[in-house]
Amino acid sequence: MYPQDVTDARPAVVETSGLTKAYGSHVALDGLDLRIEAGATGLLGANGAGKSTLLKTLLGLVQVSAGEGKVLGLDIRTDGPSIRQRIGYMPEYEALDPRMDGIHQVRYAGELLGMNPTVAMGRAHQALEYVGLGEQRYRPISSYSTGMRQATKLACAIIHDPELIIADEPSNGLDAASRDFMLQTLDTTVRNGQRSVLMASHLMDDVEQVCERIVLLHKGRLVAQGRIEDLKAIDREYEVHVWGAADAMATGLADRGLHVRREGRVMRVAQERDGIPTEILEVAAETGAQVRRLHMYEASLEDLFIAIMERLGHDVKSSDDLYANAPKGGAGPA
Amino acid sequence: MLGLPEDADAGTEAADDVRFDEASPVTGASRIEAAWTGQDDGSASVAGAGDASGHVFTQTYLPWSGTLNPRWARNWAVYRHHLAGLVRSGHRPWPVLVRLYLLLVLIGAAADMFPILLSSILGDGASIVSVFGVSRNSLYAHVLGFFPRNILYYPVVTALIVGTMISEDRLNGTSALYFSRPISRLDYVVMKYLAAASVLGLLCIGTLVLFYFAEVLAMGRGWAWVVDTFPLLMAAVAAGGLLVVTYTSLGLGLSSVSTNGYFPAIGLLALVLGTKSLAEIVGLLFEQDVLYLFSPYDALANVGQHLLGIESNYDLPWTWSLVSVVAMNAVALYVLAGRVASMEVTRE
Repeated sequence: MYPQDVTDARPAVVETSGLTKAYGSHVALDGLDLRIEAGATGLLGANGAGKSTLLKTLLGLVQVSAGEGKVLGLDIRTDGPSIRQRIGYMPEYEALDPRMDGIHQVRYAGELLGMNPTVAMGRAHQALEYVGLGEQRYRPISSYSTGMRQATKLACAIIHDPELIIADEPSNGLDAASRDFMLQTLDTTVRNGQRSVLMASHLMDDVEQVCERIVLLHKGRLVAQGRIEDLKAIDREYEVHVWGAADAMATGLADRGLHVRREGRVMRVAQERDGIPTEILEVAAETGAQVRRLHMYEASLEDLFIAIMERLGHDVKSSDDLYANAPKGGAGPA
Repeated sequence: MLGLPEDADAGTEAADDVRFDEASPVTGASRIEAAWTGQDDGSASVAGAGDASGHVFTQTYLPWSGTLNPRWARNWAVYRHHLAGLVRSGHRPWPVLVRLYLLLVLIGAAADMFPILLSSILGDGASIVSVFGVSRNSLYAHVLGFFPRNILYYPVVTALIVGTMISEDRLNGTSALYFSRPISRLDYVVMKYLAAASVLGLLCIGTLVLFYFAEVLAMGRGWAWVVDTFPLLMAAVAAGGLLVVTYTSLGLGLSSVSTNGYFPAIGLLALVLGTKSLAEIVGLLFEQDVLYLFSPYDALANVGQHLLGIESNYDLPWTWSLVSVVAMNAVALYVLAGRVASMEVTRE
């Protein structure tokens, strides 16, 4: 498993140990050892990775097969109702009555948490104003756009000012402007509101925009968790823009035992040892290639995800496999 | 200068200086001055519109430190949401036609009270009340009379109320709204059940009690009469309770297996009226009464006739019908529980 830093550890909002959930012979979650700290955390994984099962488990809605876990210090096996009262869950799919007005839908969501109706109405106004629906709150939800519905679901989730917000694919189906606003709202909730967000998504850009940390699942197993910046360090590359003799240069770099990924005149050389820039320039001089640009490549989360998946293949035997296959220049486990 | 607030103030002051009274000559100049707030120096200004600055959206997270009420308050919210929507906006929206039909049924269900009130007003109590007043047969008819109450009133009301009660949560995904909050599936289904049963209970049992006490008040019945007839009222209430429970169980059971309101509504009507028609036909053609056990209405009617002590229309023992009613409820609740347990939070 890829590492998480322990130097600036913040209080954990979610902790699991050996968390396992099996449906008959199908193991949906396989011995997860999670520690999700306060702040924004992205929950990544392909379809079938176990994201939905993990969320249901954290909500205390399904009985775990083995292991244990705590959300906000509450046991997921016994304190389900208390957990659901203290967190805000924003479901991925439609969860609103299209015939109700936005304001009354959000107020009802508050009442379902135990809020007094009058108080819930006051908070509904605040929550809808916060998510940008202040002017549209008395319109029926059936007239809302997808973005407005997503915002209403978020308002339902934050009406009681929860300590942890679980947002399941919050930007699902949104256009660019609505997506940006949704992500900005989640970001503001974390930074301005000092609340924690666990954001399940398959969109790496969204997660990178909001989250400081990620948890990566694959086939029910924990593949990586930790700060995005730390995880990116496992796959550092130099990007070289060359002019002329690119083939020869790529061959020359490969002959020196360097791992090169090439796309036209742009090639990326893995930082597998010290002195890579010098070696690149030496090879360029030898092959007569002009180096127009040489810099450390700023990997995206998408790159990281792909890199991890490439190394794992499609069969994750154990989280240690990932670390064992990692390049030597990368960060080691904590 | 135009459009500045201070200009507007100056204009108002200038206009105040212009007086209109009977002695003032009508020159037109004053009107112009008043309109344009004319100044002595010949300059003019108009009152500007107010400051037209727009609303700037600033996104600020507002914390909340209130207290969340316990389980009963959450359950009350579910119950209230469904019932209050019948009479107020802001809760579960019920179609206007449903609300109108409920009003008509309320009037129709309470209609047996009107002859008593009429006889009280006319002062000729005995003759009308002897026919329409409280008796074993009239109490039975109020609850289990087939036409119009068990054709047009109670089954149709149940169909309209429970048809979408759970199916719409499957359709709209609103089950996630409940189950991602501290609402257990038991609380969810019990509150929905009670909400539906309350509507039917009000129409069936509420009007029954109203009918009984209308006679007490309108006809000035004494304690002896009340003591004599109260057990009959209780028996009718018990029969009505069985009807409310059975219809609601069947309706909600059907609602839980569907994602639209039509199937449960039509299914309930088909179940109640279809089985009765079939049992009637088979009974007439083949003199076989066993199918009455499978008809919810007939099973309830057989039990109700026994409870109220009136002559039974059925050859079947009332205990068999009672077992049948219990079995119907058990099956319906089993289906309901199973389907609600399978409702998802993350994906439906």
